[in-house]
Amino acid sequence: MTPEDVATRNATYRRFVELGRAPTADEVAFATGEGSEAVRDAWRRLHDAHALVLDDGGRILMANPFSAVETPFKVEADGRTWYGNCGWDAFGIGAALHTDSTIGTTCPDCTEPIELEVRDYRPTDPNAVFHVLVPARDWWSDIGFT
Amino acid sequence: MLVFRSEDHVDRWLAGRPRGAIISIAKVAELAEAWWWDRLDPSWQPHTREQNQAILDRLGLTGEFWRLG
Repeated sequence: MTPEDVATRNATYRRFVELGRAPTADEVAFATGEGSEAVRDAWRRLHDAHALVLDDGGRILMANPFSAVETPFKVEADGRTWYGNCGWDAFGIGAALHTDSTIGTTCPDCTEPIELEVRDYRPTDPNAVFHVLVPARDWWSDIGFT
Repeated sequence: MLVFRSEDHVDRWLAGRPRGAIISIAKVAELAEAWWWDRLDPSWQPHTREQNQAILDRLGLTGEFWRLG
């Protein structure tokens, strides 16, 4: 990852939070002064380096912990609604924004809603549990599944 | 990486498939704070594998399952 790619990555994340959604390459290019094609090329290298995840069309799919699309992990934080890519990412959104959050998901077994209040980075109700199916060495083999 | 109401719900959902790792929701919150805290830092730099492994180790997430590739 070159310093220029890291700068594009940081601008992408900044725009994600400013917009409350994934930015387009044009929006990042406007912010950085690069050309849109240069942003898309940097995104591809960042994708290969696991610094973000693109969809098949080369658009931002995941700027972890943020998801560009709705997922079963809805997070209210900083006056906005966000989506995490998984349960861990859902907690990561409040951590990244340095703020309290409320996570809404459903139990995959019984489909009952689970709402988790996170205050000072800790859940107020400790009863839920977290299951990690994929060993750490394989997390990036199929990040969507992980 | 999914959130369940309890361990019983995990086992019912797995329906005989092997468990991965089950950790408390409090531990996930600790892990998220350590892992994602700097993600929006304007001067963010990539974490090395060793830095990420150190986070897992510090939180007691050790053993083969938690060994990064």
